[in-house]
Amino acid sequence: MTPLRLTVNGEHIAEPVEPRTHLADFLRDSLNLTATHLRCEQGVCGACTILVDGEPVRSCITYAVQYENAEIMTLEGLEHDPVMAALRRAFSAEHALQCGYCTPGMLVTSRDIVLRLPDADEARVRVELSGNLCRCTGYEGIVRAVGRVLAERRAGTLAVSAPQPRRIGPIGSRRAVATASPVPSAPAADRAASGRPAEAETELGLGGRQPNFEIRRSFVAARPPDEVWAFFGQIERVVPCLPGAALVGPADGERIQGRMTVKLGPITTDFSGEARLARDETQRRGTISGAGRDRLSGSRAAADVDYHLVPAEGGMTRVDIVVRALLAGALAQFGRSGIVDDLATRLTDMFAQNLERSLSGPTPEHGAAAPAPFKAGAMLRAVFAARLRSVINRIVGRPHE
Amino acid sequence: MKPVAFDYERPQDIAGALALAGRADVAVKFLAGGQSLGPMLNLRLAQPDLLVDLTGIAELKQVGETTDALEIGACITHADIEDGRVPDVTNGALAAVAHGIAYRAVRNRGTIGGSLAHADPAADWVTFLAAIGAGVVIRGSGGRRVVPVEEFMTGVFETVLAPNDLVTAIRIPRFSADARWGYYKACRKTGEFAYASAAVLHDPTRSVNRAVIGAVEARPIVLADAGELFGRRTGADIAASFVPQVAMRAMDTAGFKNPIEQKVHAVALRRAVEQACAR
Ligand SMILES: Cc1cc2nc3c(=O)[nH]c(=O)nc-3n(C[C@H](O)[C@H](O)[C@H](O)COP(=O)(O)OP(=O)(O)OC[C@H]3O[C@@H](n4cnc5c(N)ncnc54)[C@H](O)[C@@H]3O)c2cc1C
Ligand code: FES
Ligand code: FES
Repeated sequence: MTPLRLTVNGEHIAEPVEPRTHLADFLRDSLNLTATHLRCEQGVCGACTILVDGEPVRSCITYAVQYENAEIMTLEGLEHDPVMAALRRAFSAEHALQCGYCTPGMLVTSRDIVLRLPDADEARVRVELSGNLCRCTGYEGIVRAVGRVLAERRAGTLAVSAPQPRRIGPIGSRRAVATASPVPSAPAADRAASGRPAEAETELGLGGRQPNFEIRRSFVAARPPDEVWAFFGQIERVVPCLPGAALVGPADGERIQGRMTVKLGPITTDFSGEARLARDETQRRGTISGAGRDRLSGSRAAADVDYHLVPAEGGMTRVDIVVRALLAGALAQFGRSGIVDDLATRLTDMFAQNLERSLSGPTPEHGAAAPAPFKAGAMLRAVFAARLRSVINRIVGRPHE
Repeated sequence: MKPVAFDYERPQDIAGALALAGRADVAVKFLAGGQSLGPMLNLRLAQPDLLVDLTGIAELKQVGETTDALEIGACITHADIEDGRVPDVTNGALAAVAHGIAYRAVRNRGTIGGSLAHADPAADWVTFLAAIGAGVVIRGSGGRRVVPVEEFMTGVFETVLAPNDLVTAIRIPRFSADARWGYYKACRKTGEFAYASAAVLHDPTRSVNRAVIGAVEARPIVLADAGELFGRRTGADIAASFVPQVAMRAMDTAGFKNPIEQKVHAVALRRAVEQACAR
């Protein structure tokens, strides 16, 4: 717990708070101010928008401790604010709400528009409201309500006080004061120890579910099909070809257990899971069906990896690989699919490249229980990326520029 | 949705922040506006042991001006730039770009330094500041250095920053009075991250002619000499001489090869050039 002092709706509050408690939870759970709503908790929907030092901010993605000495204002404290009173009347007159879930955030954003942009036209109002999502109204009524209050302001019938001079820097941030540095605990080790072990997934592979990405790759290995087929049968040699991956313990017949660590900027994942191997000797086809869970984010992944060996010219072998995977949980929810696609594609390319190298040489280090994490970002560093691209082009048979 | 437990420190000065970041026993993350790190913490995608809040450091919220550049403190917000609380040396460019980032409530906290350090390839500052030849001022165990924005980001979410390197300021070159700039951000919804973006700066007085193609899920593609894009012409009507093939070639060379995406990005660049001419 960290001691915290701030002002909420004009009242001085001094209360210890856990650093991880975001401002909205602090207001709702510790102070019982429940007018502030929470929906996405990722900064996107605007339901939690409140005033800090008189300006709108999201209360879900910053933590209460960051607002030492700041002045917080929630809807509860704005009851007698003249602009808010005018907005309440206008929202009611224009049917600007239905379920009301978005309304607290809408009102706070609307108040900012009225005060900051007195000349805003309808198009500008829509742009300024775009950070507040409403599932019910279709926005028409909300836009009209804001327009109504703007008109009152321009007509001089709405009393508006002069804006406060504003400090530069993130709203709510004050100059830090010297404190006797507390002794921070070192939770890393404990947390790792308390991390839940991999749950046994009931289903391995996609089991008929739709994948959310699919990647196909082909490359030619300079070895005869028999040899390549035998190689694919030795799972302890195949797994280390996937960057960041390692087997946990020896393979148990058709079942294997493994781990995979990928690092991308501030994100680190540590997947543990299980896979089942199936091979069809006559067709020279195989499938690895796996499922795993990220110990850190709780995300889940399931994938089917199909491989097929086809004789190629000169006694060589073409390897066709299809990866179909389904990612669910925080990782999938986070942001844009482009980044996940890109990462998955690069992993597959590296896998193909390592396989090829492994087939024609000694195995890379294998069987280690804690693999070196695959640093996805580092891989992109210009020179290396260019080199890699030419390797990939060779593997997948795209012509050189 | 709750982040894992973390400790929190709010140092008064840069030395204090660097000392905390240098701790080897715990995983440390700097925290500025929290508008990118907050969502990642809430989703537990980032799980640091200690957050070092930079926003209490007065030096990071200051602006310095020289004859040819402006240094904007790392913790200055998008809204500060949008509202003109920072002097304008770019003929209005920075304020316009800032206005297009996210939403007002996010701009009230999100910082220019945090945006670059986060290194999301679709971020507006990443693309635009690379186009205008801005520099990132870094302080760390190795002293102070300035890295051009285009070299600062190395890949998705990755930069040249060492774990205890701190971005202290962004150095913005002063545009000439007749400099023309354009920035086009393609997104479905106002305030979203771009799916394609492009920027140009045509400043003949300083012999600067740069273009950048951004939001390519990697570091931005920089044409440090964009003359060829306009068939080597200069002046107010360069848009009429725009050669999209030059942009396509640059994307090919950078390995950004999807033909549809190439086309979308080339259109973004053309629109940025048209904007520059219309100014
Ligand atoms: C809903 C929403 C929409 C958004 N849309 C856009 C958009 O359209 N365009 C856009 O560009 N951005 C967008 N953003 C991101 C926003 O611009 C963020 O403010 C910005 O990316 C990060 O700045 P921050 O100060 O909040 O950094 P933080 O979130 O505090 O930190 C981000 C990262 O940078 C590091 N860091 C921060 N400051 C420093 C420093 N001085 N030195 C070293 N490391 C540092 C932190 O450790 C962390 O890893 C959006 C955000 C949200 C929530
Ligand atoms: S709950 Fe805060 S923005 Fe959605
Ligand atoms: S009124 Fe229901 S979400 Fe807006």
